Amino acid sequence: MAKMKLSSKIYTALIFVFLFAPIAILIVFSFNAAKSLSVFSGFSLSWYRELFHDSETLGSVRNTLILALSSSIISTVMGTFAAVGINKLRSRWYRAAMDSVTNIPMMNPDIITGISLMLMFVFVGRIFGASTSLNFWTMLIAHITFCLPYVILQVLPKLQQMDPALPEAAMDLGCTPMRAFLKVELPEITPGIVTGLIMAFTMSLDDFVISYFTSGNGFQTLPISIYNMTKKTVTPKMYALATIIFFVILSLLLINNVVDTDDGRKLRKLRKSRKSAKLTAMTMATFKKITSSKPIMIGGIAVIVAAIGVLIGINSSKALVLNVYNWGEYISDGSEDSFDTIKEFENWYQETYGRKVRVNYTTFASNEDMYSKISSGAVSYDVIVPSDYMIARMKNEGMLLPLNFDNIPNYQYIGDDFRGLYYDETNEYTVPYTYGIVGIIYDANVVDEADAENWDLLWNPKYSGSILQFNNSRDAFGTAMYKLGIDVNTDDKAEWNRALDELLKQRPLVKSYVMDEIYNMMESGEAAIAAYYAGDYFTMIDAAADTVDLQFYYPEPTNVFVDAMCIPTCCEHKELAEIFINYMLSEEPAIANAEYIYYASPNSLVYENEDYIDDIGEDTYDILYPEIESFGELYNEYAYRTLSNDMLDYVNRLWENCKIG
Amino acid sequence: MKKRSNTQERVSRMYRASLTPYSIWSLLFILVPLIFVAYYAFTDNSFAFTTENIARFFTATSQVTAEDGSISEIHTYLLIFWRSLKLAIISTVICLIIGYPIAYIISRASTKVQKNIITFLMIPMWMNFLIRTYAWMTILQDAGIINGFLNALHLGRIHIIGTESAVVIGMVYDYLPYMILPIYSILAKLDNRLLEAARDLGCNGFSAIRRVVFPLSLPGVISGITMVLIPSISTFYISQKLGNGKFYLIGDAIESQYTANNLHFAAAIAFILMIILLVGMAVMRHFTNKRVNGGI
Repeated sequence: MAKMKLSSKIYTALIFVFLFAPIAILIVFSFNAAKSLSVFSGFSLSWYRELFHDSETLGSVRNTLILALSSSIISTVMGTFAAVGINKLRSRWYRAAMDSVTNIPMMNPDIITGISLMLMFVFVGRIFGASTSLNFWTMLIAHITFCLPYVILQVLPKLQQMDPALPEAAMDLGCTPMRAFLKVELPEITPGIVTGLIMAFTMSLDDFVISYFTSGNGFQTLPISIYNMTKKTVTPKMYALATIIFFVILSLLLINNVVDTDDGRKLRKLRKSRKSAKLTAMTMATFKKITSSKPIMIGGIAVIVAAIGVLIGINSSKALVLNVYNWGEYISDGSEDSFDTIKEFENWYQETYGRKVRVNYTTFASNEDMYSKISSGAVSYDVIVPSDYMIARMKNEGMLLPLNFDNIPNYQYIGDDFRGLYYDETNEYTVPYTYGIVGIIYDANVVDEADAENWDLLWNPKYSGSILQFNNSRDAFGTAMYKLGIDVNTDDKAEWNRALDELLKQRPLVKSYVMDEIYNMMESGEAAIAAYYAGDYFTMIDAAADTVDLQFYYPEPTNVFVDAMCIPTCCEHKELAEIFINYMLSEEPAIANAEYIYYASPNSLVYENEDYIDDIGEDTYDILYPEIESFGELYNEYAYRTLSNDMLDYVNRLWENCKIG
Repeated sequence: MKKRSNTQERVSRMYRASLTPYSIWSLLFILVPLIFVAYYAFTDNSFAFTTENIARFFTATSQVTAEDGSISEIHTYLLIFWRSLKLAIISTVICLIIGYPIAYIISRASTKVQKNIITFLMIPMWMNFLIRTYAWMTILQDAGIINGFLNALHLGRIHIIGTESAVVIGMVYDYLPYMILPIYSILAKLDNRLLEAARDLGCNGFSAIRRVVFPLSLPGVISGITMVLIPSISTFYISQKLGNGKFYLIGDAIESQYTANNLHFAAAIAFILMIILLVGMAVMRHFTNKRVNGGI
């Protein structure tokens, strides 16, 4: 064929610059010394080291591969048989029906496919009273379902191109139908099958939306882990992972290119002699071709990786399993040479009780997210860590179990200030994990010190385009309500409307509605003013650019929150869950978690520990643990409380209004 | 003779059997779930029949402040739908304009180059799309890579992130391969002699493409349009990240109703979206099927 023209070459190059630009970015930032995705502060391999020590991320990589492999293989086999069947359908009606059905998952947005499957699984699960209706199997079914059309639409055209007389000829020559299929049809459609397999594998690997809706107990894939880092931040660790994937694929392609050229020539020769009925030879050649082609090589390697993964899975499946459901990035996980809480707990448990336990640790992005999953009855968790107002709601709805404090002796270390708070006045259901206060972070190089006093800073037109606002309804409305002096838990709709007006007034000044994006934006100087949780301010300082001078203050009044460990009614190992909670309160893990998360700890083993105070520094300590006369009073006055369903719906509508502007 | 008809029967039984698992599967996991969407859309929390959810989509209103500060009432979800549709159409058109030439160029290259380019097109898909979108934030930010370049060249700055353009760039980036691949797969099968014939008959390069190549590639174009339009109309991550949270699209609406545990209203939005898309696609296919035979 013709050689490419120069203009074509340039155009192709431009397209590839466009397609690979973000990949170049993530490769560069995977070598960043700081924990930032927007400010490059020096070369380091530390994120790669961390990646290999992070069992949670590696676990989700393993899950993603297992899911992608099993769903692509099953859908390829089923899809190929289906295509063969569809191709031979004589009934026109049946054929049209099959064509339309195959097209549905392609014509439907993935969000609808995801929701529809989720609704069905949850509904059916409820009827059968299953404790967990969303799990690995539901995700597998969902992935097979959306992969199937890709396979069929690849295989079917190959069948249609084939001369129907060929298999008949083979049968006339004495082949059984099955043999004729294997020897004649299969080799002919193999390229379609291979492409279908690759496409199915790729689609499954890249899918986020459908997995998001159908994922459940303890089986978390990589996209979901990443999405759940929404409250904290996406770390360069994920970039390191993507970089590794990139170079693995690239090197496979390069190796394959060398092998391929030689084999292709042989195949072309064989193609010429096709008519001479050397069917066996051709099959052989095709198989040889396949086994040396890059998709299969990639697939092959993935199979090996997954097989190892499955082996690990089987190996540990004999152990007792504890399902823990926590915020993303909300536990010391062994990164940056920190304490690997989960692994240490597993070891400690085995030493103490002589039994193997495996903690299945999964994450959520918001209280509401967690609530939706648990209230659907589709999942089963042993320990959850919701925030106060969500605890109150779950308690009211009978979704929490009272704790047996005999199993949690370390509860004695919880400070008096953090007992008897409104969401659990009788101290029966919860053990506080962290607490914090919402403050305002600003860049002193941009903002006048004189303006940095109270909530008005977030509405100051001087800084239009540099202000960030929460991208979740409760916290965003909170800023407006504290500013206006409205009770954040009011049932008065008129007051909420006033708050909405305030937010709408603010909208033109707001640069962005953010959750985790706040880190990049504040660190790089992209934005200058934001309200966020106190501890996160320190994470930002650590990675901020030289041109940025981040400062912090508490406006008054402001939100105080507590996140606490609870046991939901769907719990399967209550005693084990209590032992886990107790372990989290013991000195080493408690300090490690407080240092990792950077939020204040209600545990006196932590906040009275000299080493801990030294480690984080006096200044940090003063901000995280401001001197408050009566924490309980302040807390009970300004904390968020659960709203009635009617109010929640109303607030939700107002929030949508704010978002459309 | 008897033996022959016997074999034929066995063959057709075999083919029918090979289709059975898929028939059952698609009934259970494609059709039944859609019935559930309709069921949830038309019921309330206690599963009693209601049309309120559907009505809410068409009647809910919000206040919008215009640039000049005047406040007007709009239909919340109709506006959201319209915005989603607009952005999706813009993205699809751009994908087509950028993607068609590249598909053509690839299809005219040597087999080996074709294979390599196609594989390279697919590589980004192996790296999670959430991460790739995140990387775009770093590029497009006001203090990002593009502005860094412009600054170094003393060209001033441009503001992209948080604008419609940023959302469109994100969608085009993510879905461009879905446009290129189906068009390419049709063009690759195109007989080169057709082009030569067109040239011999007096067409110049461009008009040969317009009058011969393009009409023949229509099935690929249509399936490319479908594969880009559908996901871009319903995306919710790209708009959140690259639109600075200021573009609230139909996907965001469904997702936020789901997290707010309003499953029935989420189902209602999904149901309406589904109906609109299915009807739209059916109409499109009807009109184009008259001009092209078959499809992908």
